[in-house]
Amino acid sequence: MNGYGGSILRVDLTSGKITKEPTPPKVARDYIGGRGFGAYFLFKEVPQDADPLGPQNKLIISSGPLSGMMIPGAGKCDFTTKSPLTGGYASASLGGHFTAEMKYTGLDSIILEGISPKPVYLFIDDDKVELRDASAMWGKGTLTLEKELKGKFGEEFQVALIGPGGENGVAYASINHDYGRQAGRGGVGTVMGVKKVKAIVLRGTKSVPVADPEGYRKAGMALFKVCKDATGLKEWQTYGTTIVTSWCDEVGALPTRNFSAGSFEGGKNIYGPVMRKEIVITDKGCFGCPSPCGKYSHMKRYNTNVEGPEYETIGMMGSNLGIGDIQDVAQANLLCDELGVDTISTGSAIGWAMECYEKGILTKQDTYGLELKFGNAQAAFAMIEKIARREPGLGALLGEGVKRAAQKIGKGSEKFAIHVKGMEQSAYATHNATAMLLAYMTCDVGAHHNRAWAITYDLQVGRDQVVPEKVARVIWLQNFRPMFDVLGACRLQWVELSIDRDLYVPALEAITGVHRSWGDLEKIGERIWNLSRLYWARENEGFGRSWDMPSPRFYEEPPKTGVTAGQITRLEDVQRLLDMYYEQRGWTSEGLPTRETLQRLELAEFAA
Amino acid sequence: MSAIIRPAGALKSYIAGENEIEVDSGQTLKQALGILGIPSEIVALVIVNEEQQPKDYLLQEGDVVKLIAVIGGG
Ligand code: SF4
Repeated sequence: MNGYGGSILRVDLTSGKITKEPTPPKVARDYIGGRGFGAYFLFKEVPQDADPLGPQNKLIISSGPLSGMMIPGAGKCDFTTKSPLTGGYASASLGGHFTAEMKYTGLDSIILEGISPKPVYLFIDDDKVELRDASAMWGKGTLTLEKELKGKFGEEFQVALIGPGGENGVAYASINHDYGRQAGRGGVGTVMGVKKVKAIVLRGTKSVPVADPEGYRKAGMALFKVCKDATGLKEWQTYGTTIVTSWCDEVGALPTRNFSAGSFEGGKNIYGPVMRKEIVITDKGCFGCPSPCGKYSHMKRYNTNVEGPEYETIGMMGSNLGIGDIQDVAQANLLCDELGVDTISTGSAIGWAMECYEKGILTKQDTYGLELKFGNAQAAFAMIEKIARREPGLGALLGEGVKRAAQKIGKGSEKFAIHVKGMEQSAYATHNATAMLLAYMTCDVGAHHNRAWAITYDLQVGRDQVVPEKVARVIWLQNFRPMFDVLGACRLQWVELSIDRDLYVPALEAITGVHRSWGDLEKIGERIWNLSRLYWARENEGFGRSWDMPSPRFYEEPPKTGVTAGQITRLEDVQRLLDMYYEQRGWTSEGLPTRETLQRLELAEFAA
Repeated sequence: MSAIIRPAGALKSYIAGENEIEVDSGQTLKQALGILGIPSEIVALVIVNEEQQPKDYLLQEGDVVKLIAVIGGG
């Protein structure tokens, strides 16, 4: 099949049986690859009500037809599973070089099933596939072990692995790769950990069949050329995602002290230019990236190095914890990476605990004697460690995520547990940004930003406006942006360099031999979006409208400080947003796809 | 007495898809953006002659101003 490796690898960890099957052409036609494959296999193969931490759950790792090809940033790999954090659909994207290498082994998906009786790692060298003993690796940090594995097998092998966080069952453990890239969200690393798979090590040397080699060369070159000629390339490369830190502070979107405000008085020292000057050593990119956004940093005070921090980590480990020092933020980033936990959820969990402590809901007896106040970086470092080790008490509790932690602690702390559907909200404060708030409320994995980043649209249209155009914009972004994770390429060239997305169409056609306009691709995006919604409903009794509600902080508690002081979205507007959203999506007033919608999207076979 | 404004990416749509536009110097960048109809809140980064500057920067004769926005998102 043109554009594909051609095979799906199944690894039954319980029995150790390894099988390969051809990539089904119909699934490739209707779901294309990457995140589309993940959603399809999850729904079809993981039985209803499977325990996310049990043998029935699967970890589905997929590349897309653009992965590993001569296309800008063609290194995006999708990890899909039933989330141990939310109990719903989880899909996390990993950059770097893993997916390209995986494609060259001839694999489009790797499906990990069952539970291994002992720690193992999956070793793949083209057609050689083996489960090998990983007992001696268990307990090791991701950066330490990746270096060891590269040393043992050679630089051309790519490694995806978990740290102690995943081994110990932290609900938001990450899967790490390339010394600083993560599939971070939703607990994909937790599932890998419970399956006792410490690492996947692979190398591929096979070529990928292409429908029209000359057309592919031309279309690929055209994409690289527009990236190289883009006006903002130099700034993007200089600052990466940290371009937005100062801007978020300026517009009241920088999460501050557990999202109680959107501007941080100590923000200046965590802005992009300060970071560039103070700690960045060099730029770092993923496979085939013409605009490397990764920054490799050295923290003098700690004499340590890290890839990052990128904006999300700066927001969640910096301002959200009241920490205004870029070296401290970078050090927190390093600890999370080595221990294999998501920086966003970890930052949110610690922010929630700091607020509990300052309000007297938690005391020193609960915090292992730590003065867990906003701004205390050393206490935050200690808590990261305790979360990853699941230390009895607060560490283990925070490792379950803020939703469950707040349910257990109570005393009003549920009101400031900042999550949707159990996933901690990423780093945009949404007190008065209704499109972005809706994007978080309706995101398919919980409160994550990358499906629909609508905050500039709020500023363009009027941030408190609750109008159908905003809802339409969110839906369009949700259908379209995740298609990059289906195709297996980075979306940031389109996002940041504003390259013409139509340039991807001839490239995809030349590679796969199938013409698909963006209209066609958006329809597939909509199909996957609805399928993931059906999955949530299937796995959670009573799933519906109340699951889409944001944290009350965004409709009950206007910030007291910063540029959004006194501003808030009214509860009735939150409800109106949902009404309009469901109507435009073709869903019922409870937020479930109607029969007609499922038929239109050729999803009738998945209806209950 | 003029300065040149170069909006990056999707910000170009505010100046009819052109690469650059001349504005009067002697006014603040924010004022110039107002005249061009570019909402200053969506500009994430201002680079004047290769140096980062705030939005209330007073435009000088011959300045070249690059505007970076994140319209599509992070
Ligand atoms: S823009 Fe950043 S995330 Fe995207 S491919 Fe390049 S380095 Fe990777």
